[in-house]
Amino acid sequence: MLIAGSVPGEASPGLEHFEDKVRPLLVEHCYECHSAGHKIKGGLRLDHRAGWETGGDSGPALTPGDPAASLLLRAISYEDRDLKMPPKQKLSAGQTAILRDWIAAGAPDPREEVPGDPAPARIPARDTSAAALWSFQPLAVPTEETRRPQVKDTAWPRDAVDHHILAELEQAGFTAVPDAPPEALVRRLFFDLTGLPPSAEEVTAFNPEACGPLVDRLLASEAFAERWGQHWLDITRFAESSGGGRTLPFKDAWRFRDYVIESMHREVPLDQMIREHLAGDLLPAPTTADRTRQLTATAFLALGPTNYEEQDKGVLRMDIIDEQLETMGRSFMGLTLGCARCHDHKFDPVTTKDYYALAGILRSTQTLRDYTSNVAHWVDLPLPPGPALEEALQQKDRQLASLQTELQQITALIKKQQPMSGSLTAGKPAAAADLPGLVLDDSAARIVGDWKPSTTYRNYIGQGYLHDKEAEKGTCTATFIPSIPETGRYDVRVAYTPAPGRATNVPVHILHADGEEDLSIDQSVPPPLDGRFVSLGTFRFEKDGAGFILISNEGTNGIVTLDAIQLLSGKDRASAPEGRAAEVPADLEAPARQKELRAEIKSVQNKPPFRPETMGVQEDAEPADCPVHIRGSIRNLGPIVPRGFIQAAMIPGLPAIPAGQSGRLQLAQWMTHPQHPLTARVMVNRIWMHLFGEGLVRSVDNFGASGETPTHRLLLDHLAHDFIQDGWSLKKLVRRLVLTRTYQLASIPSPGTPSWSAQQAADPDNRLLWRAHRRRLDANALRDAILTVSGQLDRRFLGPNVQAGTVDPNSTEAQTLEYSYVFTDLRRSVYSPAFRNRRLEFFEHFDFADINGPIGQRTRGTIVPQALYFLNHPFIIGQSQAAARRLPGAPERERLDWLWRSILGRPPTDAERRQAVDYLTPPTSGPAPTTEEARWAQLVQTLFATTDFRFLD
Amino acid sequence: MTTRRQLLKTTACGFGSLALAAMCQNQAAGQPLFLRPGHVPARAKRVIFLFMAGGISQVDSFDYKPRLAKENGNKRSFDDARSVAKTGKGAEQRVMQSLWEFRQRGQSGQWASELFPHLAGLMDELCVVKGMHTEGVAHGPATLFLHTGTTNFIRPSMGSWISYGLGTENDNLPSFVSISPSLSNGGPRNYSTAFLPPVFQGTPLGRTGQPAAEATIRNLNNQLLSSGDKNRQFGLLRGLHQEQLHRVAGGGHQEAVEAVINSYELAWRLQANAPDVLDLAGESAATQSLYGIGQKPTDNFGRQCLMARRLAESGVRYIQVNYTDNSNNPAWDQHGNMPQHKNHAMAVDQPVAGLLQDLKQRGLLEDTLVWFGSEFGRTPYAQDNGTGRDHNPLGFTQWLAGAGVKAGFSYGETDEFGHLAIAGKIHMHDLHATILHLLGLDHERLTFRHAGRDFRLTDVHGHVVKEILT
Repeated sequence: MLIAGSVPGEASPGLEHFEDKVRPLLVEHCYECHSAGHKIKGGLRLDHRAGWETGGDSGPALTPGDPAASLLLRAISYEDRDLKMPPKQKLSAGQTAILRDWIAAGAPDPREEVPGDPAPARIPARDTSAAALWSFQPLAVPTEETRRPQVKDTAWPRDAVDHHILAELEQAGFTAVPDAPPEALVRRLFFDLTGLPPSAEEVTAFNPEACGPLVDRLLASEAFAERWGQHWLDITRFAESSGGGRTLPFKDAWRFRDYVIESMHREVPLDQMIREHLAGDLLPAPTTADRTRQLTATAFLALGPTNYEEQDKGVLRMDIIDEQLETMGRSFMGLTLGCARCHDHKFDPVTTKDYYALAGILRSTQTLRDYTSNVAHWVDLPLPPGPALEEALQQKDRQLASLQTELQQITALIKKQQPMSGSLTAGKPAAAADLPGLVLDDSAARIVGDWKPSTTYRNYIGQGYLHDKEAEKGTCTATFIPSIPETGRYDVRVAYTPAPGRATNVPVHILHADGEEDLSIDQSVPPPLDGRFVSLGTFRFEKDGAGFILISNEGTNGIVTLDAIQLLSGKDRASAPEGRAAEVPADLEAPARQKELRAEIKSVQNKPPFRPETMGVQEDAEPADCPVHIRGSIRNLGPIVPRGFIQAAMIPGLPAIPAGQSGRLQLAQWMTHPQHPLTARVMVNRIWMHLFGEGLVRSVDNFGASGETPTHRLLLDHLAHDFIQDGWSLKKLVRRLVLTRTYQLASIPSPGTPSWSAQQAADPDNRLLWRAHRRRLDANALRDAILTVSGQLDRRFLGPNVQAGTVDPNSTEAQTLEYSYVFTDLRRSVYSPAFRNRRLEFFEHFDFADINGPIGQRTRGTIVPQALYFLNHPFIIGQSQAAARRLPGAPERERLDWLWRSILGRPPTDAERRQAVDYLTPPTSGPAPTTEEARWAQLVQTLFATTDFRFLD
Repeated sequence: MTTRRQLLKTTACGFGSLALAAMCQNQAAGQPLFLRPGHVPARAKRVIFLFMAGGISQVDSFDYKPRLAKENGNKRSFDDARSVAKTGKGAEQRVMQSLWEFRQRGQSGQWASELFPHLAGLMDELCVVKGMHTEGVAHGPATLFLHTGTTNFIRPSMGSWISYGLGTENDNLPSFVSISPSLSNGGPRNYSTAFLPPVFQGTPLGRTGQPAAEATIRNLNNQLLSSGDKNRQFGLLRGLHQEQLHRVAGGGHQEAVEAVINSYELAWRLQANAPDVLDLAGESAATQSLYGIGQKPTDNFGRQCLMARRLAESGVRYIQVNYTDNSNNPAWDQHGNMPQHKNHAMAVDQPVAGLLQDLKQRGLLEDTLVWFGSEFGRTPYAQDNGTGRDHNPLGFTQWLAGAGVKAGFSYGETDEFGHLAIAGKIHMHDLHATILHLLGLDHERLTFRHAGRDFRLTDVHGHVVKEILT
């Protein structure tokens, strides 16, 4: 007989077991996801020995000889809720035993060779180092030589910007097209700077030679702050409700909107705004006003589309962090950080470690009130109220305090008048043992019939109560037989759970020492004693004598419930603290006054003034580093990563994150550091995009390797450099850009521009900027322009538009506010209630419905509902009528000029004028003609519907 | 006259150059709504999804578990999903038997309770999947997962993905319609495009709470104008547009302008055609009564279902019919009162059965996939020992019928209490993959590049469930 394994080449029993049992099992149940030629899930391969030795993302799959310590066995045992393999169906006990035995035997595995490579990765490996990516390089600083690239046509440029553009044009053999006609330029300037159209008079009065003063006037206007505030609100995914599952109104989000618009108006540097967004609560605040605006700024971190009802609060917490990182990454740095939650970024120099270094900062920041509530809630931070408001608030507090004192007194009085059967709170379950006297729960009764146990109404005694399901009347009884401790008179009380629909005639039969009584209870009204009991009167019972209380559903007219009975002797009543006061004379008006007081308190509480608060974040009590979450799972944690920033964009000399702080302050300093390679470039590019229609980097939200490279890289760097030098001033940059020659070029050919079509063919996307882009007006500009023309625009600057009181996340009122909101205001679109599940219909059609994530550039869809809206919606029709009423009392020709200038910013062409005149002339045949006023209104509506209104030349 | 192909092409190109570029990268044709072939042979041309919001109880409807009656009232420990999510542990629960009696039905002998008497008579048509499981323990997350494949991220809805993948079959109607959608539990996100181009957005017909008889496409009519005045006004618009097109000629802007002009032409035709499609008056009395129209409990949902059939006939690709309301605990959410299930069943049973029969007799069931289900199921035990059942995403039942799926067939099972899916498990990602497959789309190839990444409805998951396909 051979000794097992002693002959080379002969399979040992262990290997035999492997070949016979283990290998087929692995092939059948595991290879689909863990072998060559398939997807490799979790990085684990089970098709060769080294595969399980090394293991996947979670480490080695087996410990030979120790099944209990082997991850593989844990997975197939299905005991770990988060790691069940194979996922579709648990292995049988026999199959599990095969693998357990194999591991116990040391996991002999002859598969030394690595089978062919796995299916090729969909994305070829890339160089993801910072060195390979333009946007991670330091900014090119302009020098005397590079600031103004040499051009042949030296008369053309006005600004260094124009030198950059023209140099490229000349090199490509292009020429710049002529300047835009004045009426196109004035409309462009007004919409770009203020989001509003010029009036007909402003169109006429415009002098292109004196652009500067007009630009200065527009920059100083409130409308500028509103327009550019909207751009900022877009990238900060501003909204006034959480949307998603159970949408909750953000009652104080308007404060963030006001903060943004005011900051634009007051020229707060953009780097400071970013710092305030990330760490406003941690920045020094010299004045109360500073403190208020800085706290309000941190709402940025709280405004996301959070699913507050997510039941796994660990998941919720990491989801919020992910949303915060994704938003700040995209908006301020043009990076898609979210990718690194589960794996190192496939294109950009961002690793999973970087992600969790940043996540640690936000995990050390408190964004939710707590992590236990069924429906979670953001943090409301109290704001300093200021002296006048403080006085009013204190006045309100005093009023409330006095009402509450009176309520307390009257409640105490009522309590004294009502002998209580127990000291326990009504409305909550109570144990029989906690109540005075002799208490028999329904569980102690002799039950006949089909009673059904229930706990729906919570003011029961014992484990619950019974109800008769309103069926089988006359078949259900319950008999309580008290064992009387001492002969004497007892107050007999019955407990039941009241509700409308309960029987009003529940029969109770009492057998006592002196005879029998037949009584009846009305269970549709609350029991008068403590909300639990009704007293049936005092009866004598003898110790060891016969006596019972029987309740039945015979002849009843509704549901009968049964909870407990209570027998109170005189002694019991005296010992109950409230019982002693039973002699207090009844004050019949007290209950009415109590009710009145409660209503009054509620009403005062719900009326302004309110103590001002803002949504925001604060430091967590215990800042801590965060472990890597393998594949993004909260239940599969890897090594802990110290809090920090993206390693590929580290800046020397930055202070370290102190152990006792979250690191948000340092994050804010890092992100706005002049040497940060991304932030200033991204910001300058966004501003350029809003003025020119496309960014110098066209993928405005993506400065990574999968985004586009800049069309004019040096120009972008120089602008970013100057922007930093100018103190991150939005207005200075906007002023500079709109006064360039490049900005003021024509977007459509005027007769006799020979180079146009050839250049159009050579550079159809206008990457060289040889002409201006013809752009679409966004939803806000369209709506505000319509309201301007109609004269209906409400120009109230700042302030809330929706009044939402304190939010109880568990109340449906929170959703009702949003779902049944009627949009009626005519304020600028930036103030329109920004609910995430319900938008102004106009916004739904014109690409402003989805405010769940940062919007770098509005989408530009052409969809049929837009046309239907312009043709048929009452808003358009009504505003057209209002505009028609504003027409100057002048000859038709002048009225048409006024109309065209107001709506399209130009006079009508001859052909347009002919058609309009035709339309205004009533038809000579057919049904009754419309009135002249109606025809003018229809003409206005038609102009609103035309493409020229929707585009900006 | 322009052909549909030309029309769609010009409409398509009305996107801004970025969006257009994005689309051209993703689609050979670069024409968003242009009808195009899928990746694999299609078994179904269209889907009618009957969404039962709130969570139908599987153990009271199609998943027969005799053990529940035997153990009725017993306390046992269960891995309750809500409890696990909140505490990491299961909890002791009181077993609650089905409130409705089960019987085997039809030739196939499939089990069905008396909760849905009409559907019980059609079990030979249904492909019942009993091993469903999904993500999200609360309505919001689970409803979003059902529609968009994620509990929390902002992603396109399934109908948008399908429109994006296949384009439209009809020039004059939207390709994706949601009848009487709710504002709650995700609201518009359940039919929106997220980062897909806006043209793939679902078109809501009416809204929940509004009678289905009034459900229509918004802004379909200007009631202030006579048809003659409408014609005149539209004539003026056409004339001004010709002039404006001429004004920008040669500038490279024609496509964008023509796209807007064509959107008006499409709107003009939609105004003329849609009212006919949505008008049920032309349906025979027999058909109306088949759907339960005219009877109180079934009238509203019956109208929604009949409208769905008419849209299906007209070539709408993805039609969602919603049985829901605007509350946080919609329709089938019987936490405290299971008998209420019966009221909801009475409202949908006959209309859904009528829809199946009607589709079948018209031959439409051949190439229409009907899908019936909730965002999750319910627990086989009583919530808080009361008279209702809590949410159960870990094991539940949905059914499919029609194009490409086995009829009179059951697949998958839950444990003997009907709580956890244990065999033939189908994750919601798998069901999404399977439905895309039936429509001819490979869920791994139906991708869209956004923010530097290729996105899919099924993220990195999903398997086609071949076992249920014919």
